[in-house]
Amino acid sequence: MNERDEQGRKRARYSPWILLGPGMLFLFLFFFFPLYTLGRMSLSYRPSRFANPKFGWEWDNFSHAFSQYGSQFTRSFVYAALATLLALIIAYPLAYVIAFRGGRFRNILLGLVVVPFFTNFLIRTLAWKTILGDQGTVVGFLRDVGILGPTGTLLRTPLAVIGGLTYNFLPFMVLPIYVALEKIDPRLIDAARDLYSNTWRAFRKVIVPLSMPGVFAGSLLVFIPAAGDFVNAYYLGNAQTSMIGNVVQDQFLVQTNYPVAAALSFVFMAIVMVIVVIYAWILGTEDIA
Amino acid sequence: MSASSGTVTSTGGRIGRRLVDLAAGLGLVYLFLPIFVIVAFSFNKPIGRFNAVWQEFTLDNWLDPFKDKALVDALKLSLEVAAIATVIATVLGTFVALALVRYRFRGGQAVNFLLVLPLTAPEIVLGASLLTLFLEPHLVLINHNFALGFTTIVLAHIMFCVSYVALTVKARLRGFDWTLEDAAMDLGAPPTRTFMRITLPLITPGILAAALLSFALSIDDFIITYFVSGPSTTTFPIRIFGQSRTATPPQINVLASMILFGSIIVLAVGTLFGQRRERRLNQAT
Amino acid sequence: MSNRDDRIRHDQARLARLGLSRRQFLGRSGALLGGLAVGPALLAACGGSSGTGSSSGSDKSVSISNWTSYITDQSKKDFTKDTGIKLTYTEDINDNEEYFAKIRPNLSRNQSIGRDGIVLTDWMANRMINQVKWVQPLDAAAFPNKANLRGPLKAPGFDPTRKYSAPWASGVTGIAYNIKTTGKEIRTVQDYLDAPGTKTALTEMRDTVGLFMRSMGIDTATPTYSKAQPAFDALQKAVSDGKIKGFNGNEYVSDLGAGNLSAAFAWSGDVAQITLDNPDVRFAVPESGGMLWSDNFMIPKTTDKANLASDWINFFYDPKNAAILTAGIKYISPVEGVDAELTKMGGKAAALVENPLVVPTDEFLATLAIFGPLDSAEEVKFDKRFSQILGSG
Repeated sequence: MNERDEQGRKRARYSPWILLGPGMLFLFLFFFFPLYTLGRMSLSYRPSRFANPKFGWEWDNFSHAFSQYGSQFTRSFVYAALATLLALIIAYPLAYVIAFRGGRFRNILLGLVVVPFFTNFLIRTLAWKTILGDQGTVVGFLRDVGILGPTGTLLRTPLAVIGGLTYNFLPFMVLPIYVALEKIDPRLIDAARDLYSNTWRAFRKVIVPLSMPGVFAGSLLVFIPAAGDFVNAYYLGNAQTSMIGNVVQDQFLVQTNYPVAAALSFVFMAIVMVIVVIYAWILGTEDIA
Repeated sequence: MSASSGTVTSTGGRIGRRLVDLAAGLGLVYLFLPIFVIVAFSFNKPIGRFNAVWQEFTLDNWLDPFKDKALVDALKLSLEVAAIATVIATVLGTFVALALVRYRFRGGQAVNFLLVLPLTAPEIVLGASLLTLFLEPHLVLINHNFALGFTTIVLAHIMFCVSYVALTVKARLRGFDWTLEDAAMDLGAPPTRTFMRITLPLITPGILAAALLSFALSIDDFIITYFVSGPSTTTFPIRIFGQSRTATPPQINVLASMILFGSIIVLAVGTLFGQRRERRLNQAT
Repeated sequence: MSNRDDRIRHDQARLARLGLSRRQFLGRSGALLGGLAVGPALLAACGGSSGTGSSSGSDKSVSISNWTSYITDQSKKDFTKDTGIKLTYTEDINDNEEYFAKIRPNLSRNQSIGRDGIVLTDWMANRMINQVKWVQPLDAAAFPNKANLRGPLKAPGFDPTRKYSAPWASGVTGIAYNIKTTGKEIRTVQDYLDAPGTKTALTEMRDTVGLFMRSMGIDTATPTYSKAQPAFDALQKAVSDGKIKGFNGNEYVSDLGAGNLSAAFAWSGDVAQITLDNPDVRFAVPESGGMLWSDNFMIPKTTDKANLASDWINFFYDPKNAAILTAGIKYISPVEGVDAELTKMGGKAAALVENPLVVPTDEFLATLAIFGPLDSAEEVKFDKRFSQILGSG
């Protein structure tokens, strides 16, 4: 008995690392290590235009990234922030209704939120291109009611890009908010109603604060991919709406200017991290996951 | 609880409630608008190369869904990649989750944090960094010289699936009663048998959910794959990206609709199965 | 070819005979080395067989990459029937630079790209042949029909004896427009800019900048950045004024048909193909002149099927086969005697002989110009400015 205990404890000391080993090694090799190679590439130079880049503390790549692409950086973060806000406005009532009034249909309603995303991301965005097309019903209607001028368009405008971003990352907002709302003890809401005797105030004082972790997680899950996206701007935007993702894609996969492309990715990642940290600090939420 | 929350009835509250319902309804319409378009255009008979303007209804596309051979090949490749990546990611991720839930050890918090990082990194950074990894041989990978293609795609997909699997399985394992395992061992069951007979059956639903998620993520991924795919390995999303610029046969919509309906069925069956299981567990306790 | 290269090739051949590709070999030795790279080694071992395109035994096959709308089903069938060679044909080239970026990582390390033949525009052919040297000579023995190459195309600067390249087709860059949306005919670049509705230009720098240069009377045969600057400024102004909304490759085809575009810089054959579906879509060569270009077939250095790839191009240099292809794709054929064969085919094909965009007359050719070669330093300047205007730089 004692001997087995001894063995058991030993197992406890070593086996977590045996279980963790392969997965963490994989993440090290194909997530953390590539970030190092990205950093290394961002400090490389090209001996000649098509020669493989060589490492050489080439800080110029960074000053180039900052000076040349400032507007794309700003645009990415502005578009992503607007898309996050829109997603929040659309997702909150949806999550609220599913959590508190879904009843038996909760799972079905949740399914309905997820189902559209079983079609491919690109096909969905292309469908928006069709919907927003100049000859489409939507534009026709908006022209008729005078919201758009007689020659107004939606496709190839910033609005279309932001709309596309909002749409494509919406479930990442709905699901965390739903999870947060669902956790709220209904007795707490009843108590709050008794206390404040007003649904709106009960909502504001009790439900909103308790749903904040969901809002926080959802906002990050929408903001980060939206800021780095290039597909929506590519299909729905114009030459004046290109985002940092478009630049990175162009520099890596068209111009093959790997060092500058790597510097751009690096700067982008750094800015995202700073925003996330500031955001977490302001909202003071500790659990992100 | 929906009944209990309906006790307060002021006029303002009722109107407010209707408004919230309306907003939620509109939200759902918004979610489904492009889906309707996709399915509708699978019945379109386009003139010319692009399926972008509604012409007339036809069943031809559905009667010949595999007409575009390149598209079908791309879909096959995507399924193959997703299958391999899912299996490997599920195994690796489940082990990580087991370690985190089953054992308390120093560094556990750090591992948790490291697992979340890949999920918060923008896809374009993941793709770009993997491309720089694959461009040159590195000592850390025993100077392996990668050729962009099948291998690099699968590696990338495993990478972004591992964290999802680990976190999903972990979330499902939190409520698990680990004393059952100890009980089995106390009764003399060897560790392997305990794992096979006790642990595995209990954690299987969580693992299945994680595997499904991995599969869905892998098959849908465009941005990362676009960076690491070689010139001759074209996955379904990459094919669609290429096609969107040159010709979009309605078969794209047919295949997309098929995937959609297939997923709905899997989801429905899964939900039913889960509910039955839950009910049985509730009855048992 | 140095001795070292020969030796490496010899070793590779030996490994291949042992049933191991180099990739597999590396992968397997990797697995032995402490299992550090468990993943890659394992995958390399199982994925290795699919990528390498060697062994041209009894079951002959060839894999070709090309631009969209550059082939007909008829031609593909005829090729396999005539030569007994199985064909894998992929339309995955949408943009010269983008395709270059796609093949660069593999070709720069001498790794297969899974293709035995690729088709790129003149200036990119120049890069492939003279700058990066990633192509191998066509197999002259398998390409006797090379003799049918039309005179003017025989000795381009980038490949004076056509050792490495053979033109697949030539075309004209001009302006396509939907007359319903523009309301009137487009005759000049200025007309195009003034037309109502959404307009796009091409991501292919030499086409877009070339048309602007010509509209301003700037010579494109010997381009320099300082000469081209006014054209770039005009283009930039058109973009910032919202007159040009975007840049694309072949996408304009769908958008013109759908009415999302009123006018676009476009390639002649594409428009000839869509005019059949939609007679409102028209093509005009600006009065200031259009751009003439050719796309060239080449064989990447990493394939060992140069002979089969040469069989492929040889097939299309037979005037009859070339005529069938031309009737389908409606681009200018590089093959001598195609007009006679088109006339023989009768019907719609015969009518193409009268179309200067397919069978150009001398006076029509005189209105066209090529975009001359740029040296590397100049090219960098052009590309940089252009990608700034495109919005991704």
